[in-house]
Amino acid sequence: MPRVDADLKLDFKDVLLRPKRSSLKSRAEVDLMRTFTFRNSKQIYTGIPIIVANMDTVGTFEMARVMTKYAMFTTVHKHYSLEQWKLFASNHPECLEHVAVSSGSGMADFERLENIIEAIPLIKYICLDVANGYSEHFVEFVKAVHARFPKHTIMAGNVVTGEMVEELLLAGADIIKVGIGPGSVCTTRIKTGVGYPQLSAVIECADSAHGLNGHIISDGGCSCPGDVAKAFGAGADFVMLGGMFAGHDQCAGEIIEKNGKKMKLFYGMSSDTAMKKHLGGVAEYRASEGKTVEVPYRGDVENTIRDILGGLRSTCTYVGAAKLKELSRRTTFIRVTQQHSQVFS
Amino acid sequence: MPHIDNDIKLDFKDVLLRPKRSTLKSRSEVDLMRSFTFRNSKQTYTGIPIIAANMDTVGTFEMAKVLCKFSLFTAIHKHYSLEEWKKFAADNPDCLQNVAASSGTGSTDFELLEQILESVPQVRYICLDVANGYSEHFVQFLRDVRRRFPDHTIMAGNVVTGEMVEELVLSGADIIKVGIGPGSVCTTRKKTGVGYPQLSAVMECADAAHGLNGHIISDGGCSCPGDIAKAFGAGADFVMLGGMLAGHTESGGDLIEKGGKQYKLFYGMSSEVSMKKYAGGVAEYRASEGKVVEVPFKGDVEHTLRDVLGGIRSTCTYVGAAKLKELSRRTTFIRVTQQANPIFRD
Repeated sequence: MPRVDADLKLDFKDVLLRPKRSSLKSRAEVDLMRTFTFRNSKQIYTGIPIIVANMDTVGTFEMARVMTKYAMFTTVHKHYSLEQWKLFASNHPECLEHVAVSSGSGMADFERLENIIEAIPLIKYICLDVANGYSEHFVEFVKAVHARFPKHTIMAGNVVTGEMVEELLLAGADIIKVGIGPGSVCTTRIKTGVGYPQLSAVIECADSAHGLNGHIISDGGCSCPGDVAKAFGAGADFVMLGGMFAGHDQCAGEIIEKNGKKMKLFYGMSSDTAMKKHLGGVAEYRASEGKTVEVPYRGDVENTIRDILGGLRSTCTYVGAAKLKELSRRTTFIRVTQQHSQVFS
Repeated sequence: MPHIDNDIKLDFKDVLLRPKRSTLKSRSEVDLMRSFTFRNSKQTYTGIPIIAANMDTVGTFEMAKVLCKFSLFTAIHKHYSLEEWKKFAADNPDCLQNVAASSGTGSTDFELLEQILESVPQVRYICLDVANGYSEHFVQFLRDVRRRFPDHTIMAGNVVTGEMVEELVLSGADIIKVGIGPGSVCTTRKKTGVGYPQLSAVMECADAAHGLNGHIISDGGCSCPGDIAKAFGAGADFVMLGGMLAGHTESGGDLIEKGGKQYKLFYGMSSEVSMKKYAGGVAEYRASEGKVVEVPFKGDVEHTLRDVLGGIRSTCTYVGAAKLKELSRRTTFIRVTQQANPIFRD
């Protein structure tokens, strides 16, 4: 008979952080910078470990330029050509230590990745992203990429359970992307029934990764700065955001006017929209696993960045963490039935 | 004193499937076909075990024609006349192995069933469907049908617990329909307070049926392809769909125009609409146990079928099942508090 795991798994919405005594005088004292040395590449990272997702709407060069100013990171989407990369690299060399080049596990993707990394040696990060990180095929691919680029830091995913985090780390990845189905424009859970509540996934995967000196990214499911704080509190080394960065000037796509309101298109990378754009359509044997939505236009992303970083600093003062590094050690989650007052929602 | 079962019974919405290691390279490698040999009829089945429900809006001949192209199955509703059946059989001989003729326990129902099976001998499946499969009367009826048609495969239900699955299997049924109250247009739980969360019902009933070499259908409660995957994962041999197949070109009923949008009517078979249509009204002593809704028109069912089958193939790759047959063996459910991110609700 199929098994049911008895203990309930939790999402961000199921918890809040318990405040703790603090000797901090102001949010301004909180240090959000982190430094990591990666397990396999042996490279060192320093920055605020928030990452823009490798989606073609948000993981843009324009976004990377702003993120770099704030020491944040961008996984640039895989649909830029070598020529576009070269141009970006020569105009914005300062950005290159804060970006990753992305690839799926297909041959064409990999050739493009090789060309870009050979042409721009200052890029030190590779993001290997597939919908299902559980396939043997993907593990072999990670091994091959690590063999080809032993000194590049490899992000790989997505997975949601400890044993697969361990497998990918041992195959040569440095940072494991955690999350199946939590994203706002992801419909994998609806289409397949597969998934894992994000907070529990992060807690379990961080534990596995840290035991092997690996790192993880919480990828997806954050809808407000508080969720970002909870992901860090749960043990995520990095937090990746898609929807929270959608709808800004720096995002790809035109502004749409609708009933006097300005909107921008945002969609999952397995949605009809994305599959039509990049593959010419949805293949016969598969279903689309993403939605397409219009999000309100929100202007410059810098305002959103300040809002997120301000929120995170405030979290740290509430739990008495002088540094982001201390946040997970100072975290006690309490289970709740609602996030905030519904009176004016 | 009334007894309370303390462990929480689960619905599809309470769980997700845990991904597992997989050697599959692509969703296209997944085989959704299954073959069964039935316990009592000794007949063999091969196909993708998804069934259109025997509701007059969904279990239509038009639906059967499309579903059989995809190797899916249709439980034809019981309101077609013998003449209509004969015409369908003459025009679509290829579809007959993928359809069942339905009947309740009434004597007029049974007479019609007999006539259909005698005139169209290629129909090999009988669907005996009553709201309450727990009645002694139904068990006796099942025994009579089995005696009369020893070589036909009999689907019977609905029930939700292991002991009644066993009783029906031992009384001659091959495939037990599982589900009381989960359907989108069913109000049995509201009107009576009776029911059983569908995921737990399927797990418990599959276990009971498989122990006797019987089979089960998870009937009702699926609102998206992921739910179908969970039903198979829980051990269902077949999954029956009503609402997910409603609102298509092939569904019964006329198109309704409202505010520039197109709709089709969908209703439970114990709803007022249905009882008025077939029984001349709701009898004095009973309440309607179904709703009537207008569902947005969704076009040809073929698109929905591709979406459903694509979703299940994806599920199989996530849990490492090369065949649908392996899905339940590869299934671990985790308990959750929400399904998908609600930020951009449809």
